[in-house]
Amino acid sequence: MNMLEIKNLKAGIGDTEILTGLSLSVKPGEVHAIMGPNGSGKSTLALVIAGHEDYEVYEGTVEFFGKNLLDLEPEERAREGIFLGFQYPVEIPGVNNAYLLKAAVNAKRKYEGLGEVDAFEFLKIARETMAMLDMDPSFLKRGVNEGFSGGEKKRNEILQMAVLKPRLAILDETDSGLDIDALKAVANGINALRHPERSMVLVTHYQRMLDYVEPDFVHVLSQGKIVRSGDKSLALQLEERGYEWVRQAASA
Amino acid sequence: MGSAGRQRMSAISLQQDLLESAVTALPPDELSAVREAAVARFAVNGFPTTKHEDWKYTNLSAAAALSNAWLQDKPAQNEAQAVAIGTEIPEQIDAHWITIVNGIVDPDSLSTFASLTDNGITISRLAAGVAEGSIAVDDPMSAFNAALLQDGLQITVADDSALDKPVGLLIIDDGSVAVTQVRILIEVGENAQLRIVECPLSAGGDRQFANSVTQVVLADGARLDFVRLQQRQKKHWSVNRFSARLERESVLNYNNFDFGGELARNDIVADIVGTGASVNIHGLYLAAGQQHMDNHTRVDHRVGPAKSTEEYRGILNGRARCVFNGKAIVHAGADGTDASQSNHNLLLSDQAEIDTKPELEIYADDVKCSHGATVGQLDESALFYLRSRGLGKDEATQALTRAFASAILNKLAIEECHEYLVAALDRQLDALIDDA
Repeated sequence: MNMLEIKNLKAGIGDTEILTGLSLSVKPGEVHAIMGPNGSGKSTLALVIAGHEDYEVYEGTVEFFGKNLLDLEPEERAREGIFLGFQYPVEIPGVNNAYLLKAAVNAKRKYEGLGEVDAFEFLKIARETMAMLDMDPSFLKRGVNEGFSGGEKKRNEILQMAVLKPRLAILDETDSGLDIDALKAVANGINALRHPERSMVLVTHYQRMLDYVEPDFVHVLSQGKIVRSGDKSLALQLEERGYEWVRQAASA
Repeated sequence: MGSAGRQRMSAISLQQDLLESAVTALPPDELSAVREAAVARFAVNGFPTTKHEDWKYTNLSAAAALSNAWLQDKPAQNEAQAVAIGTEIPEQIDAHWITIVNGIVDPDSLSTFASLTDNGITISRLAAGVAEGSIAVDDPMSAFNAALLQDGLQITVADDSALDKPVGLLIIDDGSVAVTQVRILIEVGENAQLRIVECPLSAGGDRQFANSVTQVVLADGARLDFVRLQQRQKKHWSVNRFSARLERESVLNYNNFDFGGELARNDIVADIVGTGASVNIHGLYLAAGQQHMDNHTRVDHRVGPAKSTEEYRGILNGRARCVFNGKAIVHAGADGTDASQSNHNLLLSDQAEIDTKPELEIYADDVKCSHGATVGQLDESALFYLRSRGLGKDEATQALTRAFASAILNKLAIEECHEYLVAALDRQLDALIDDA
C-alpha cells in the first residue's frame, strides 16, 4: 500500500483554484522532491495535506495508508504521523519550546494509547537532537520561534520533526533563507531521520538542498499540477535550463 | 435578569431614609461617629449612576436595589463567624493569614499576630476604634462603606521593618449577609516593607454585594507589594477601591487578578506626592458568560521625577463585558515623570465586548509618557501551527491564552503566590474556553 496517495487534487482559496488536478504517490522510505517556480502551488500542496482551514478542496482524494486525510482535523493528521515543516514557522511568545515539544509528543502518545512521555527520556532526546542540529539548549526555554533568526527557525522545525518522529514529513522550503552552515546542519538533521518506514516530501525552489539530501524522485510542479517526474538528475537539468523549460514543455 | 452591569432598568438609587434608619438602629460602638458622619456625606451624591462618565458602562442600580431591600430588614450587628467556606488557599500560599467574614475580622485568625509586634508590625481591628479622620469618605462608595462600617483592619509597619512572609487576607462573603463592607488601612513606615495577598471569595447561591475600600500610605522609602486574587462566585457583585499615597522613593507594586463574580468594579488610585516614587500596576481579568468587569485606574504624578507603569490584560468569552479606563495625570511642575499604560484584550467570542480608554493628561514639560490599547482575536496562524503539531484545538487555545496572560503573570509581585496562581489561572482558562 502506498503511504500517501493523492489523486486528481483540485484545491484553492475561495474561487481561486491553485492545485488543478495533482496526483502523487509516496511509498514508505521514499524521499520525493517537489520543485517548481513561485506560484506553482508547492506551499498550497503542503498546507492542504496538513489540513490548513484556509484551503478548500474542490475535487480529488488524499489518502494516508488508505485513510481519507481530508476528513481529519489538522491535529488528527499530526497524530497519524504527518509532519509539516513550515516555510515560515510562526513565532508564539509565551509558549515555550519545551512545552510545545512535550505537548506534541504526549498528544501523539495519547492517540496511540500510550502514557505520557518520561520527562527524563524526553529531555535526553531533545538535547541530543539539538546538539546534532548545533542548537543551543537554552532554546528549549525560549518562546516558540520567538526572536529566532531564519536559520534558527528552520533548525527548530527539524528539531520538532526529530522529536516527533513522523511517518511522513513534508518540508516546505526548509532550505530557503539558510546560509551554508545552517543548510548543512538542517540537511544532516533530515538525513539522520531517513528510515525505511519514514517518507519525506521536500518542497523546494532550488536544487541546492538536494546536493545534501538526495531524493529518490523529483517532480516538477507547474500551474497546480505535476508536469514532469524523474530521478535526481531532473533537478540538475532544471537548475541548468530554468523553469521556463518545463513551462514550455507543459503547455506543449 | 441579566448581569448587574448591563441592565436597562431605570436608575434605582440607594434610599437615604433606609440607610439612616438602619444606621441609627445599629448598637453604638467605637465606629458610631464614623458611621454618622459618613451617612451625611453619602447623602450628597448617593450611588454613582451611568450618567457619571466614570460609571458610564457599569450600572449599580441592581446593587442599590439589593442594598435597599437589605437595609429595610435593618441589619443587625455582625458577629465574627466561623468560616463556613472551605478553601485550600491558606495551605497553598505561605503567608500569615487573617480571615474576614462578611466584613468582620475573625479574632482567632488575628491572635497569631500578637507575636509579630516584635517585627514592627501591628495589626488591629477597626472595631477597636480608629483615629479621627482616618476613614476616607471622599467618594460616594467609600462614604457608603463608612456609613455601614462595623469592623476592618488597620495594618501598620514601623520604620525599617519587614515581615518574613506576606500577610494573607481571606475576604469571605459566606452568603448570610447580602451586603458587606470591608475597610483596610495600611501604613508602611520609612524604609519598611510589607507584602499582602488578598483573596476575596464567596459562598451561597443568593446575590451579594460587597463594597471594599483599602487605604494605603507609603512613607519615604517604603515598599508595598500587593496581590489581589478575586475568585468569587457567579452571583457576586463587588465594588472595590484601592487608593495609595506615595511619599519620596516609595514603591507600590499592585497586581489584580479578577477571575470571579458577576460584576467586579475596581478603582485603583495612586497619588505620587514624593519624588523618586514608583508605581507598578498590573491586572488580568478573565470574563465569560455574563460577567462584567470594570477596571478604572488613576495615577496622579504631582511631583517629578517619578515613574508609573501600568498594564492590564483581559481574556473575554461568551457575552462578557469589560471596561478599562486608565488615567495618568501629570500635574504642572511634575517634570521628569515617566508614565506608561497599556491595555490588551483577547476576545474569544464575537459577542464579548470591551470598552478601553487609556488616557493621559499632561501639564508638565519634561515628561516621558506612552499609552496604548489593543483588542484582538486568537492568532489563527499560531493556532494552526500548534494543531499541526498534534495539539487539540482546546489545548492550543489554552496554550495561546495562557501565553497572552503570562505577560501579567510574569510581573507577579509576590513569589509565594506564583504556584497557586498558575494553577488557578489554568483552571479558569479551561472553564472560560468551554464557555463558547
